[in-house]
Amino acid sequence: MNSEKVTFAFFIVLALTLNFGFFVGEMNDPGQHNVYELFAAIVVSLISTVLKVGDRSHLGAVFLATSLVADLQLIAAAVVWGMTTSVFGGVLDGASLATVVSLSGGALLANFISVALLVSDTIAVRR
Amino acid sequence: MQNPVYTLFRRLRSPLIVLILVYAVSIIGFVLIPGIDDKGQPWEMSFFHAFYFVSFMGTTIGFGEIPYAFTDGQRFWALITMYATVISWLYGIGVMLSVFQDPVFLNQLKKKSLIRRIKNIREPFYIICGYGDTGSQLTQLLSKEGILSVIVDPEIDRINELETDDFLVPPLSLCADASQSEVLQMAGIEHPWCKGLITIANDDNVNLTVAIVAQLLSPDLRLIARAETPEAEANILSFGANEVINPFETFASRLALAFKTPGLYCLYDWMTGESGKQMKEPPCLADGLWLICGFGRFGRSLYDHLDDEGVKLRIIESDRSHRDIPSGSIIGRATEAPTLKKAGIDEAAGIIAGSDNDANNLSIILTASELNPDLYRVIRQSSDKNSHLFENAAHEMLMHRGSIISNTIFAFIRTPMLGDFLRIVSRFNNDRASELVSKLIGVVENDEPKLWEFGVTSKDSPALYKALQDRPILVGDILQGITQYGSQERDKPISAMPLFMKRDKGNILLPEDSRNIRAGDRILMCGTQQSQHHMDQVLSNHQTLENVLHGREVSSSLFWDWLIKRKSSD
Repeated sequence: MNSEKVTFAFFIVLALTLNFGFFVGEMNDPGQHNVYELFAAIVVSLISTVLKVGDRSHLGAVFLATSLVADLQLIAAAVVWGMTTSVFGGVLDGASLATVVSLSGGALLANFISVALLVSDTIAVRR
Repeated sequence: MQNPVYTLFRRLRSPLIVLILVYAVSIIGFVLIPGIDDKGQPWEMSFFHAFYFVSFMGTTIGFGEIPYAFTDGQRFWALITMYATVISWLYGIGVMLSVFQDPVFLNQLKKKSLIRRIKNIREPFYIICGYGDTGSQLTQLLSKEGILSVIVDPEIDRINELETDDFLVPPLSLCADASQSEVLQMAGIEHPWCKGLITIANDDNVNLTVAIVAQLLSPDLRLIARAETPEAEANILSFGANEVINPFETFASRLALAFKTPGLYCLYDWMTGESGKQMKEPPCLADGLWLICGFGRFGRSLYDHLDDEGVKLRIIESDRSHRDIPSGSIIGRATEAPTLKKAGIDEAAGIIAGSDNDANNLSIILTASELNPDLYRVIRQSSDKNSHLFENAAHEMLMHRGSIISNTIFAFIRTPMLGDFLRIVSRFNNDRASELVSKLIGVVENDEPKLWEFGVTSKDSPALYKALQDRPILVGDILQGITQYGSQERDKPISAMPLFMKRDKGNILLPEDSRNIRAGDRILMCGTQQSQHHMDQVLSNHQTLENVLHGREVSSSLFWDWLIKRKSSD
């Protein structure tokens, strides 16, 4: 067992699960999407990006790319959230929340690709 | 090759993670800790405000602007996070600075930029492996000629020395072992503009390995190698090197030529010697006893070559245990008068101080001159640094290993046909050689002679190439003088003579004036600097060529053509 691999897989999977947790629920119901979960998803996603940077393998490059996509989507979601609540008016209405959730849905897809790659890589390495 | 950016990020991984975590915890703290707004109502910081506050706190910018004054709980948390964020920033910056000071990382950066520069070269260049005395002389010569070189040497001291040297065309340098194929690829051996590889390391084995690797990587590349033993020379030649230069053999065979055919000696000495020098008078080497001091690689080469010419030789060698010394040799120090006397210095015609120690060689020559002032003195110089000493010591001929190699290689680079020409000429007898030398002297007269070559191609000689498609042109035609405007007579013919011509696989030595020029020929010329310039004009300028061929001014425009035609028909 390699502790580096454990950390790596831990953060990748955690990024996916947190993202998923935020994503599920009615698109426009503010009660079903927790802002803390979005924050945690962003932080974990950033950490997993840093873990992937500097990997020279071809797979590492794809990991980095998917992770960067997830970061971009999540940060965009957070910016939309912050802009609506703090800059325009202060109430998160259904339409803005739908934008935030759909952006995080895109990040979810990217994170899912990361995990799929991780699993396929693990299977490829026999024993 | 590892990308330095990856190295940087790998090292920065933990500081970055620490930074992200510290920020995350600080932001969460500010969001959770309750505050009070200006009206005394409970107020909670949003993520937006918390991130804003932590950002300017962490970077120590410290705006005073906060939505509402902090409660004591918030101040408490701010106090903790203030230190935490500053420390994590300092940690990250510290790691980054240490990466940038790491010699390994810097070396990677340097290599990376060098590879990029080599990739972007858009002019012909040569790769030189080994930057010792010879390498630096050769690089100097090439840069004076405006030729770029890429230098590979494993020793960092030499590369540093190179960077401080002054060059007209600064060479690119790579500190690495050239016998690795990866390094040669980095140096651009497969680059389309790479004209050749020159391997002149001190160690024959290195040269051999480099030559093999180069041959495998790009078989068509021009390869010039240095070798100091006959075995290595034969070995490198066997797998397709274009030229192998063995300084000892080269000098010994020249000296033998000086005995047999002094004319040829002159020719060789001038063509492969320092450029821009006048041709010397043939040396006058008397028959009689010749003393060779030192029986190392140089002494042995000398002995073999001179013995073949029937010169009476005697070896003086200080090492008693030396094997296969010819019979009749004197064992002792040649620097001492008694040894020299014993060897018969009084009746000797010449002495060759050929040990590998410069001080000993100088001492031998000084002692010998005192004992017998009429001696012909040949002295060997090993180190570049002693040049001024050797200039002051009286001698008739100097053997400097580094200059022999660098000058010969330079001559072969400037005029690649020279190697084949000299090989053919070496079979000349003395009369024929002297005739050639006096012809050359007749052509260049008192000027500095110069060698150059050109191909009859659309690139090298566009005007000639084009004209050849309409009518046959002879060698003599293009050497004729220009007719000045309004004059009826030609100027003097260009003072140059063709030495050698290559047509497909065939060689034509000293092509006569009546020989046809064909497209694709390559011609080696000898003349003066000025005549080379004239010839360039004739070969590349359509008008000048027509002038030379027809003996009259030819205009370039239709109108002038018409005018001239009308005038001549009147």
